[in-house]
Amino acid sequence: MDPFDASTLPGLPAPFWFVELFKVLGFTLHMVPMHLWYAGAVLALGLYAWGGRHEKRFGARLMLQMPVLVALGINLGIVPLLFLQVGYSRAFYPATILMAWFWLAIVGLLIPAYYGVYLYAFGLRDEGVAMTPIRRAAGWGAAAMFLAIGFLFANGLSLTGNPGAWPKLWQAHSFGGAATGTALNLADATLWPRWLLMFGLALVTTAAWAVVDAAWLAPREGPEYRRGVQVLSGRVALAGSVWATIAGAWYVVVWPKATTSAMLGFPTVLLTLLTAASPWLPAALLWLGRRAELSRRRAAAIVAAQLAVLALNAVSRQIVQNVEVHRLYDVSAQPTAVQWGPMALFLVTLLAGAAVVGWILAQVLKARS
Amino acid sequence: MHYPWWYVPHLTSPMLIAAIAVVHVLVSHYAVGGGLFLAVETGFARRTGDKEYLAYLFRHTRFFVLLTVAFGAITGVGIWWTIGLASPLATEVLIRTFVFGWATEYVFFVIEIVSAFAFYYYWDRLAEKTHVAIGRIYGVSAWISLVLISGITAFMLNPGRWLESRSFWDGLFNPQFLPQTVARTGGALLLSSLYVYLHGSLTLGDRRLHDLIARRSARPALLGAILITVGGVGWYAFLPESARAVLDAASVLNVLVMLIFALTAVVFVLLYLGPYRNPGWLSPGFAGALMLFGLAAFSTGEFIREAVRKPYVLYNVVLGNQILPEEVAGLRQNGYLAGGRWTRKILDTDYPRLLVDGRLDQDRMLALDEKDQIALGRVIFQYHCNDCHAIERGYSAVGPLIVGRNREMNLWTIEHLEQAHFFMPPWSGTPAEARALAIYLESIAPKRPGGMYPLPGGETRP
Repeated sequence: MDPFDASTLPGLPAPFWFVELFKVLGFTLHMVPMHLWYAGAVLALGLYAWGGRHEKRFGARLMLQMPVLVALGINLGIVPLLFLQVGYSRAFYPATILMAWFWLAIVGLLIPAYYGVYLYAFGLRDEGVAMTPIRRAAGWGAAAMFLAIGFLFANGLSLTGNPGAWPKLWQAHSFGGAATGTALNLADATLWPRWLLMFGLALVTTAAWAVVDAAWLAPREGPEYRRGVQVLSGRVALAGSVWATIAGAWYVVVWPKATTSAMLGFPTVLLTLLTAASPWLPAALLWLGRRAELSRRRAAAIVAAQLAVLALNAVSRQIVQNVEVHRLYDVSAQPTAVQWGPMALFLVTLLAGAAVVGWILAQVLKARS
Repeated sequence: MHYPWWYVPHLTSPMLIAAIAVVHVLVSHYAVGGGLFLAVETGFARRTGDKEYLAYLFRHTRFFVLLTVAFGAITGVGIWWTIGLASPLATEVLIRTFVFGWATEYVFFVIEIVSAFAFYYYWDRLAEKTHVAIGRIYGVSAWISLVLISGITAFMLNPGRWLESRSFWDGLFNPQFLPQTVARTGGALLLSSLYVYLHGSLTLGDRRLHDLIARRSARPALLGAILITVGGVGWYAFLPESARAVLDAASVLNVLVMLIFALTAVVFVLLYLGPYRNPGWLSPGFAGALMLFGLAAFSTGEFIREAVRKPYVLYNVVLGNQILPEEVAGLRQNGYLAGGRWTRKILDTDYPRLLVDGRLDQDRMLALDEKDQIALGRVIFQYHCNDCHAIERGYSAVGPLIVGRNREMNLWTIEHLEQAHFFMPPWSGTPAEARALAIYLESIAPKRPGGMYPLPGGETRP
């Protein structure tokens, strides 16, 4: 399918690098809370149900934080999706239209999942005495829905980068030439490893969050809890890294030829290798330090390492996406009509907004102390 | 056409946008007005040391957060999701025009989320002044979000000078910006009071508190009703000529406009006689009735706002059938099916013989047998007509509209679409394509119902 000549449409409102920068930055930030519900929710529920004392406590803490984390995840997800639609609309829209009902189902799943998390969190009040079978089921249902949402996202974004699959899916799922919106990109070899890779990374993020929570947000928990969480996070991070490595290797093996040439050619191969190896850094910090005293400095180092992992992942994914979409059109060659004034308004508002949010968080921290 | 068309049986995909949008606005306006209510009333309760009122406000905040931060935020994302699926070309134009408007609005949305959580979760732990200040930050941020989004939705109806200048600022501060901002601000104030009344009447047993809430929320609600009326008049005054003509021509829209004014008047009178003059009247039934009237007025308003844009999705920029007005002449010349990337694929795959030098050959298309004409007519219908018309049954289904019309009558209507019905998009194909569409329509036309005045010759079906 060729993209249409839309020279009469408004050009890109920002230089292409700006679009990519905010897309990558937004996705990196989005991954932090999103990982905590994607793999974190199912892990926390499992730990709360079957874990030891400290595991159970961590599971409860994470599920109590989950309503806020879900809100932040949704909120931060808007940025990459906004800039994705700015720069990649001609690949993104056809792909999502072909699977429209499934794509829309993300919204339909997110609403009950969000309320399921709230219901479960209400059940955890007063040391869990308010937990009922319905609330427990709501929590597990929410975790299952988060996994399903991840699968649908993997479908949509793998299909965005796979225009070669569109005609066949369209012909199989159409009525009078119009898409019925019932296609899924199941035949794409990259779909499954892509979905699973994110789950492995999400486990590492959850492990990193566990130590951040223990170091900063849990002053009422005793040193034993902190030690227990360290051991737990070491194991989870290790499992996540193994998982991510296996899924990542699978992903690389099934890359289309053009992607392989681009990502394994010099010098991009260095970035690919770095991205693949990176989850082992936070995992190593967590595993090796699992018996040591948990300090805030060490927790900060682990966070920094995991943020670097996520940023590298986002950059590499972006390059892969550009290579994939290039089969359809050159996204970087789109005409621009840069809106400098509105861009300045946004950047100034962003800075002012960050200051306001910073002030609110400072007040919250003051209140906590 | 340029993008694959999403076929939603019976409903049509654009109606999905309307359905989600209506649900969303009923919560999002409360997210704005409710934030202002909580900020003002928490300040009042703290100033007067009214602990019972503060306790109620805390409970109301929990309800507010659960509804707006979860359901409101996700349905907002849902609108965005659906417009990309059902109206991709218009969404592309909107996003490229207003990405920094949306991004700026997003910053305020982040502030809203953070301040809402801080306001609720640290209710008793923040210093009183800080707590009230965070409530105010929420209220102001939510209102600025409303202002920015109003600019973008207003642009869809009347882009004003943007059509010449293509300037972001002209687009945002379009002729409809002020009226819609005023009306939406009023809507936020009114709707939040109605939510408060319903919540309060269902959860409060304390007479004093009950009456206090009824009285204190009456003034913003009355102000809201006035602002809605003022904004509504401004909306009408700044409608493009074509939209006003659509409003005049469609009897259903006339009825709906009257309904809005009637419902707003009813709400105003009930507010004045009830919560304002006689707070004791505010029973759950009374509050529920007020809420229902308010929601009905709101939903109707959103429907009209969408409907009067015909034949455009974006006024003078993108036509309802997902093409640009400047493309029409070329499509009439070279063929609608040949002009769209997805429809063209059907020709390439199934009817390559119809293409000569990239153009649709008229004679070859006219020579197709009826089965193929119907098949291609169906494709044209999906891409040219299904935006607004379901097929045989459903939203504005074409079947019931063509009862009693023969092929030639349909053909004339198709070829003179914008003349037959001035609010429809222009026919954008060749005569051979018009014929294929007419044959397809004939194939789906329902039988002429019994009991009608007989056709010449006593035929029951044309």
